[in-house]
Amino acid sequence: MAAKRRNGSAVAARTASHPSPAAPLQGLLAQPYGDAIKILPDVNVIKIGGQSIMDRGRAAVFPLIDEIVENAARHRILIGAGGGTRARHAYSVALDLDLPTGVLASIGCATSRQNARIMQMLLAKHGGVYLNPEDFEKLPLYFRVGCIPVMVGMPPYEYWEKPSEHGRIPQNRTDSGVYLTGEFLGARSVIFVKDEEGLYSGDPKKNARATFIPRISVQELLAQDLDDLVVERVVLENMLNAANVRQIQIINGLVRGNLTRALNGEPVGTIIYVA
Amino acid sequence: MPSASVAKPHRTHLSSRLMRESLLDKKVISATSTQTELAILPDVNVIALGGQSILDRGKKALVPVLDQIVKARKQHKIIIGVGGGARVRHTFHICLDLGIPLGGLAMVAGAVDEQNTRLVSAVLAKHKGIALNKDHFLDLPLWLEAGMIPIMTGMPPYHYWEPPAGTQRTPTHGEDLGMFMVAEVLGARSMIFVKDEDGLYAEDPKKNPRAEFIPAIEVNRLLALGLADLPIERTVLETLVNARHARQIQIVNGLKPNTVLRAINGEPVGTVIYVGEENAPQRGLWGSRRTPRAMKRTPARARHNSHGR
Repeated sequence: MAAKRRNGSAVAARTASHPSPAAPLQGLLAQPYGDAIKILPDVNVIKIGGQSIMDRGRAAVFPLIDEIVENAARHRILIGAGGGTRARHAYSVALDLDLPTGVLASIGCATSRQNARIMQMLLAKHGGVYLNPEDFEKLPLYFRVGCIPVMVGMPPYEYWEKPSEHGRIPQNRTDSGVYLTGEFLGARSVIFVKDEEGLYSGDPKKNARATFIPRISVQELLAQDLDDLVVERVVLENMLNAANVRQIQIINGLVRGNLTRALNGEPVGTIIYVA
Repeated sequence: MPSASVAKPHRTHLSSRLMRESLLDKKVISATSTQTELAILPDVNVIALGGQSILDRGKKALVPVLDQIVKARKQHKIIIGVGGGARVRHTFHICLDLGIPLGGLAMVAGAVDEQNTRLVSAVLAKHKGIALNKDHFLDLPLWLEAGMIPIMTGMPPYHYWEPPAGTQRTPTHGEDLGMFMVAEVLGARSMIFVKDEDGLYAEDPKKNPRAEFIPAIEVNRLLALGLADLPIERTVLETLVNARHARQIQIVNGLKPNTVLRAINGEPVGTVIYVGEENAPQRGLWGSRRTPRAMKRTPARARHNSHGR
């Protein structure tokens, strides 16, 4: 066989019966390319937490809406909606039914979509528009006319969400989707609005002695291998590979002024950056 | 500094086992595993047709493979996935040259798969082939029960949300991963990748013509070998490590007669990649004791990534 290959006859026979049309393309993707462009570099992508903000209702959401509207006059803002307690309930039922990760991911989208639509209704009179993921390319139009687009936070992976090493909770949820939106757009900032100041050395909901961490590198955070995190682990892993968004900010949206300060570039909350 | 603590507005919880828990807590996450994960469509076979390796070669390569699938459909339920091929590579080249970011590449690549889906569905229409849009994924049981052969685009719907991969500026989640995930989430009977090579070799057969053919290998061992050149997307292997259902895959050479039919019928005719020795081919679908016919080796083509293969 090897001898036959060396004199070329096997290759020739194969080529004659199955010509490969791709031959001229070999080496195509190996060449050096210029830098990637940034799609919408002045956009700020803001995630509104589901359990942390939306599930608290009017008392938490209305002041935040006011602050978003005030800032939308100065900054381009794209809002991504989280899931929250209803997503957890749906996950629980799906888990009980022995369903796989992909099914959980596909049903998790719906809760995030509900919250996006609710936010849109609250923001409508200030220019809030619901951005269907299929209409993602209309973003420039919405910004051009001064709208505040609101979209579902979940990435569209659904049944194609990969199984994780442990358990069946989808690894890519609304933090991940919102982060990747910012990374693709080459956004100015990605801000996660939650109900804690940011990152603590433990869960402040359960341990009052947990200390606050205002600034930490992704590498350091991953090395600590904490049992719990303030943002989805996959966001940290993606940051290490990212071309654009190398820093994220987590702020407490229950405190008036925090979002404004974050949008103005102030170090409020916790900043996680790639060292 | 954290701002002064304020009384937090009340949260309306919906009672569930995940209520108030952090979904980022490792213990909470681990508690959601199960030994009895449901197989949604356990008798379906997923066949991924390579773009560059099969479709781009036209009638001579494609029609014999489709004939085998039509024949196999008499006994087995089958979903076909199609890759993109040369036009995907060309798309990536143009996009990279223009500075389009990763997610943009992932978004536009799918159109090539769509072309190929339409080509295959036209050829297979009289044999019950039907293009299945991902929006109609939930209609699968209907088509399969009606004896149809659904044909899907391989690319997973990651689109603009394709995860960044450092210096690699082409998507790491391509058609192979997309079809692997279909098999995994459905708990399919088999996952067969139809390529233009017999499977895996211990070394690059282009450099060493005596390179040893690997009929079966455990995926962690394969990843540890660090082969620069794989006939399948690396992401598939990395995902196979965590698979709950699709714990064996087979790569077969579709240019050789009857390999696809034999693989669907449970014969190991190419390379079987599996996770964990408990899923070695002897213990699975491809544990047939029939000795595969001595396989002629085909030379590997030069390539720079696995897209559209």
